[in-house]
Amino acid sequence: MPWSTREFGVAVKQGRSISFYLASSWLGICVFMAIFGDMLPLPAYDEYTDDIGVGLFSAGHIFGTDLNGIDMLSATIHATRMTLVISFTCVAISLVIGGALGVIAAYWRGWVDSVLSTYFNVTLSIPNLILTLVLVAILATPDPSNPGQELSRSLVIIISLTFAIIPILGRLARSSALTWSGRDFIRVAESMGMKKRQIAWSHIVPNVIPSLLSVGFLAAGVVIVAEGGLAILGVGTNAGESWGSLLASKTSELYDAPHTTLVPAVAIALTVMSLNFFGDYLRKRIDNREARI
Amino acid sequence: MSELLDIENLEIDFDTQRGTLHAVRGVTLSVAPGESLGIVGESGSGKTVMSRATMGLLRGKRVKRRGSVRFEGQELLTLSAKEIRGFWGTKISMVFQDPMTALNPVRRVKSQMSEAMVKRLDMPKDKAEARALELLELVRIPDPKAVLDKFPHQLSGGMRQRVMIAMAIACDPKLLFADEPTTALDVTVQAQILELISDLRKRLGMAMVIITHDLGVVANHTDRVAVMYGGEVVELATTKELFTQTKMPYTEALMSSIPRIDIEPGQRLPAIAGTPPDPVEERVGCGFAPRCKYATDKCRSERPQLVDAGNGHLYRCFFPIGGA
Repeated sequence: MPWSTREFGVAVKQGRSISFYLASSWLGICVFMAIFGDMLPLPAYDEYTDDIGVGLFSAGHIFGTDLNGIDMLSATIHATRMTLVISFTCVAISLVIGGALGVIAAYWRGWVDSVLSTYFNVTLSIPNLILTLVLVAILATPDPSNPGQELSRSLVIIISLTFAIIPILGRLARSSALTWSGRDFIRVAESMGMKKRQIAWSHIVPNVIPSLLSVGFLAAGVVIVAEGGLAILGVGTNAGESWGSLLASKTSELYDAPHTTLVPAVAIALTVMSLNFFGDYLRKRIDNREARI
Repeated sequence: MSELLDIENLEIDFDTQRGTLHAVRGVTLSVAPGESLGIVGESGSGKTVMSRATMGLLRGKRVKRRGSVRFEGQELLTLSAKEIRGFWGTKISMVFQDPMTALNPVRRVKSQMSEAMVKRLDMPKDKAEARALELLELVRIPDPKAVLDKFPHQLSGGMRQRVMIAMAIACDPKLLFADEPTTALDVTVQAQILELISDLRKRLGMAMVIITHDLGVVANHTDRVAVMYGGEVVELATTKELFTQTKMPYTEALMSSIPRIDIEPGQRLPAIAGTPPDPVEERVGCGFAPRCKYATDKCRSERPQLVDAGNGHLYRCFFPIGGA
């Protein structure tokens, strides 16, 4: 690490707890499943096998099957891709847009700041799920005179969730950029005659990125949960495409084959927890680093 | 006289909730090319506000600026923030007080130093980095090649201040403001840094304004000294004159409060009793009168003006030490 303290002869040992290793391994497994899931030697996610509604740990179906005979392991693995794609696309886009807006608001102040802060606060005051619900309703409603022209479900979800996440990250970027823009080295850069745009890009942004990234991991968890919530409300992605919609599509089997909802639910829970652990770990590292500079 | 910097009757007021705060009350100063001017005063005397205003760093709705600041004949006070940026770095530059916070923690020394040269002087990157190396040699940093690749936190305070100085002179400014450049440093490093700044000034032919509360700093490194008190210049003379022919009782009081090697152990250090004048209150009489041991009724009711003792030694006192 560039900011390792070895130079000072003081070893501030970063204790990496077991939870860090568990969290990162789980996230690694998720990414692997998202990329190579379809190539695994498992029954296809949409194949109706002859074992109908068998429980967990049955022969040939470690997570059992649903009432149609679909293997829950392969269904869950198949849904990983869309879940991760939605969550990471939303967070990546909002990191860029929210981060940029936040830095602009903090460094330019004045009316720019008022406008952007008002936008952040107004959007934040609307509950996340309701906001996305409204956006999905607006974006996904088919045009009666021109059917079939509406955006695909998952794209609508991505746009809506991105819109809901931008103010969260934007406000964070703004507060972080505010503390940094008060630092002396910004005055120094100004006194050298650098343009505001240059200073924002080369002095403020690099300092804001670390704290923004750590919150980005937390936001990725939030997106997964929100997407699940939307699915349960019936406005998620197509059935079985993501963990949320897989979970939602299996709620009717809750009485006869409860494990079918359990499997995607556990996947969501583990992933969100891992993302939170990971975000916290990054947060701690950054706090540690900032305490030293 | 062709002056580099001409400050005339500069007044800086701040709108505060208590009322108008007069931080600088009519300062007239000038700096000749290549000259080194010291500005001395205690906290709240307006020296930092004055220097920031001169550079044009102070602006905003609540700051009222009157008077004139001319750099090479060009009025600076009326320039917009964008226009004045053209002066910064290449014509006027500044060394800040605290080198610990004045460098960006996430960027290597190399990129921070070359940045201004690339952006301001349109230098290609490799040339700017070569020049950064030269500058580090100029500020006498040992093993400059290695320092270029380091992050600020890997350098000591003195090293960082050297880097800051190197950055400040990177674009060949004609005037360098040093606002308490050594206050945050160890005593041993202070002397080295001051020596370095003086030496650079002579070699590069820059003019320099050193702002400090330490008379010892100005004694060895300036040509002329302005003593500020309560937002006004109360005495202005060549450094030698100031120390040998002190006129202003405030300056005398400042000097007697410097710890001396020949005082008896255990003896109390003479301090100036009282506090600086309130910058919000309307001032009647001499600002220093309430703390001055020579003050008379005249001092408390009439405002003294700057008087020239001949030879350019200015003072603001009715009863100067050693007579008028």
